[in-house]
Amino acid sequence: MQNDNILQVKGLRTGFQMGKRHVEVLRGVDFCARRQRTLAIVGESGCGKSVTVHSVLQLLPLHGHILGGEVYYNTPDGNSVRLDQLERYGKEMRAIRGKEIGIIFQDPMASLNPVYTIGAQIMENLLQHEQITKKEARERAIEMLAHLGIPDAAARVNDYPHQFSGGMKQRVMIAIAMVCNPALLIADEPTTALDVTIQAQIMDLMKRLQDEEGKSIVLITHNMGLVAEMANDVAVMYMGQVIESGTVEQIFENPCHPYTRALMQSVPVLGMEPGKRLASISGQTPAPDELDEGCAFAPRCPYVSEQCRKPVEDCEAEAGHTVKCVLKGRLAE
Amino acid sequence: MLKYFVKKLLMTIPMLLLLSFLVFGALEFSPTDPVSYMVSPDMASNVDMDAMRETLGLNRPFLVRYFDWLGNLLRGEFGYSLVQGVSISKLIGRYLPATFQLAIVVLALSTILAIGLGFLAAVKQNTKIDYICSVLGVVGISIPQFFLGLFLILVFALKLGWLPIGGRSASTFWGMVRNMVLPVMTMTISMTAALMRYTRNSMLDVLNKDYIKTARSKGIPEWKVYIKHAFRNSLTPILTLLCFRLPMLIGGSVVIESLFGWPGIGNLIVTAVSSSDYPLILITTLMTAAVTMFASLLVDLLTAILDPRVRLS
Repeated sequence: MQNDNILQVKGLRTGFQMGKRHVEVLRGVDFCARRQRTLAIVGESGCGKSVTVHSVLQLLPLHGHILGGEVYYNTPDGNSVRLDQLERYGKEMRAIRGKEIGIIFQDPMASLNPVYTIGAQIMENLLQHEQITKKEARERAIEMLAHLGIPDAAARVNDYPHQFSGGMKQRVMIAIAMVCNPALLIADEPTTALDVTIQAQIMDLMKRLQDEEGKSIVLITHNMGLVAEMANDVAVMYMGQVIESGTVEQIFENPCHPYTRALMQSVPVLGMEPGKRLASISGQTPAPDELDEGCAFAPRCPYVSEQCRKPVEDCEAEAGHTVKCVLKGRLAE
Repeated sequence: MLKYFVKKLLMTIPMLLLLSFLVFGALEFSPTDPVSYMVSPDMASNVDMDAMRETLGLNRPFLVRYFDWLGNLLRGEFGYSLVQGVSISKLIGRYLPATFQLAIVVLALSTILAIGLGFLAAVKQNTKIDYICSVLGVVGISIPQFFLGLFLILVFALKLGWLPIGGRSASTFWGMVRNMVLPVMTMTISMTAALMRYTRNSMLDVLNKDYIKTARSKGIPEWKVYIKHAFRNSLTPILTLLCFRLPMLIGGSVVIESLFGWPGIGNLIVTAVSSSDYPLILITTLMTAAVTMFASLLVDLLTAILDPRVRLS
């Protein structure tokens, strides 16, 4: 039977080598991405969102290593592959990268190779994974670009990245990620480097891809508005852990973790009282190597108690809504 | 694109003219007097020396002499060496093959070695191979050529007696090779070291770029990531450095040629300078300068071929 989750991450720990020791940046990340749904991973800068998806695809820099945990990718035909145990640049891992899981990066300006035409860069993916001729690959690339709304695609495949605008480059990136028709698309802050109108276009495009083609999407962002608009499920990350996860309604209507709640209050909402100050989270994020075994949010948490110094387990606040907090979602108003 | 290069090519003409004027002018201001070098002032009277200046045309005004010389140059007459009395084209014809022979071997060897090792060091960053290359690179860069050359002569020629101390024999192939080993080794070591570090850094710089991650995200094999994406992009700075080594083919190396008694242009320049043989100095300097200009033109051309962003502007 086909597993309902396309991607399952359990207790993922990733560290970066700093001289002789490892600094653990992911301290046990758990989440599931459901098939044909969008999972948004949110959190502030440096909480490990990008490192999480880079670990999943083993695209970490050389000094980054997966130290523990399990990453399962469940193929559409019912197989389960454990990604974290594959060799980083080995054949099995490479057969999944680009073919089964496509990824879009944050900065489209820097993510395309300046010396090759965009056609060549899209075709490279196709030629790697499918037994087709260059001519066929070229036609597929043109088709893909046209599909993603690039006008005059047949002529523009021969252009170089610097001849494209930022939004167009991101479309090209999406074309590279999508051209082999992957089941899962990972978007690592795809619109952070773009201006607002282009952001909306790119997000509409991704939404359309999901509605029409049933893609599963993992969207990384720190933009709460985007989450509300795009996501079915949300995982909130803080200091290398998923501290709360559930459906988008559960997270927005009933945020159970003090951090999630603070995060929601710090976002401006249309129609809010003019002159009202946004709440900010007091204190600063601790350095990853200073953390102890207790809750990482404890030093900044208004509800902190003695219990928080001990390791905190996940618990269910309601069905499908887990929270990593000793209060189990019963926050005083 | 073509227009751009024709324009660049045409621009080298006034630059070469200006350069010839500057070199000519600089020599004019140098305090040495070729006549007093040719004839000892004790042996000839001032009248005789003035007469000699008169016959050589040295007492005419500066500009007249410059345009006279330039006119000859454009007609392909390089003039005569004051000291050796031989036509300069003949001298150059005699010395250039030796320089060219040495330089082409050194350039080829050092380029292949340096790019290979630099590439390897970058790909195997922070491994033993990288550390060994780094140490060798620093050693190669910091030891001056004359010292390295002397050391190699001491070991391979004097102590072991395997190779000749210097000179160039062109009679047998084997003899030629034996004579070339030491100068080639000396130059190759220091030139490889510099280019190797350059290649490594250029590669590492590119390997940190986001588009390398994009390339990996397509699932292509690592060798393709390294060669097609990383190396291709790191080539531009490497080629720039390489092109500016080309004048070596014409100008030779003064240090190496003197050290190993190699009868090349470098040696010719030393002789010319020490005897104030100004027509010869003029021509050899101008030759090297002209090749440098063409090297920079070549850099522009290659950069435009390699980088589409340059091609358009």
